Amino acid sequence: MKHWWWKLLAIALLLVASIAALRVPLSPSLVHVSPGRIAPGEVTIEVTGYNTRFAEGMGAFLENDGQFVCPVRVEVIDATHARITAVVPAGLRGSMTDLVVQGLKYPGAFFTEGLGDGIESGPCGPSPNKLDLSGLAFTFPNRSILYESIRNLHFHVPMWFTMIALMGISVWRSIQVLGNNSLDRDRQARSAVHVGLLFCALGLTTGAVWARATWGAFWTNDVKLNGAAVTALIYLAYLVLRGSIPDAHKRARLAAIYNIFAFVLLVMFLFVVPRLNAIDSLHPGNGGNSGFNDLDLDNRLRVIFYPAVAGWILLGIWLYELRHRSLRINEHLDR
Amino acid sequence: MRTAFTLALLLLNILPAAAQAPTWLEDQLYGGGKLNAVIAVVSIILLGIGIWLWAQDRRLKRMEKAIEKKTM
Repeated sequence: MKHWWWKLLAIALLLVASIAALRVPLSPSLVHVSPGRIAPGEVTIEVTGYNTRFAEGMGAFLENDGQFVCPVRVEVIDATHARITAVVPAGLRGSMTDLVVQGLKYPGAFFTEGLGDGIESGPCGPSPNKLDLSGLAFTFPNRSILYESIRNLHFHVPMWFTMIALMGISVWRSIQVLGNNSLDRDRQARSAVHVGLLFCALGLTTGAVWARATWGAFWTNDVKLNGAAVTALIYLAYLVLRGSIPDAHKRARLAAIYNIFAFVLLVMFLFVVPRLNAIDSLHPGNGGNSGFNDLDLDNRLRVIFYPAVAGWILLGIWLYELRHRSLRINEHLDR
Repeated sequence: MRTAFTLALLLLNILPAAAQAPTWLEDQLYGGGKLNAVIAVVSIILLGIGIWLWAQDRRLKRMEKAIEKKTM
């Protein structure tokens, strides 16, 4: 029980986090509204929802700068499609009008024509007494562009956390090598970099697929992408450097010194450079983007995200141990 | 060999940036409210770790053979 409990923990965490990451539904939202422009007069609006339960008698209204326009007719086609007819009055104040259906808002749904000083607001605005149950269900946020791919947060991001943890173990071992010249510590540093590069490759590949589905290209000139690629090359150079020095003790010391520089560069490229305000990044929490607050990493996501990160880091450590043990056996055999 | 393999994996990421992705791939990734992008990501992770385990398996096999030779 002493040595293997954390391996069971790794499996349990990964199991729970992966199942939850794939099974938790997205919260309902409006994903498409047409037309995109309204002018005074009668207008028929086609609304498409995702995971919604449109039903006869549901509330719907247009909202313009705090004033409401009530629909003439709401036709429910099915749970995710509805046709709303409204008479748009002349003189709306705001140039953008929102659409609200069943309490779900589609902000900036319509460019608005025939602007004026405001209208007499309709009686159909949001009812304050209505019991809102939507916050009670456990769902993932439904955000445009991301949609279902928001689940990738629990798979793609832990790859990088695991890589950073493994590189951290490696640099710690390297510092120990400088203190005591231990070849075993050197082997550990090398194994950790090896497994860290596996997770780096997985992070880059999964990131490319996710980028294609959301940003539109496998590779963009995002600072964090290029920083990650440079980090990968720095650590590949670590392995190349090791291969070029035949003497074991010399290799251990030189590689340890290089490893410390490599880790500093990793921190620079992944954490410092992308956060400089002068540089824009598509990644949440970088450049001018907000991140890791309740806007970008919702509490509903955190509940799954942190166990996933812990599980993947433990799995990474497990692979690193396997690699280290097999290297040690191999060197005993060569002797 | 291992380094070359890792490098190849990394290059695989960078090369498609130049080439436009075929539309069928786009349709696949965007399918099911972009759920297929999640399926692709999970598959890549499982495949990657599978390949790593396969390579580790071969290393162990080499060592087993070396032990057999020594004890014979």
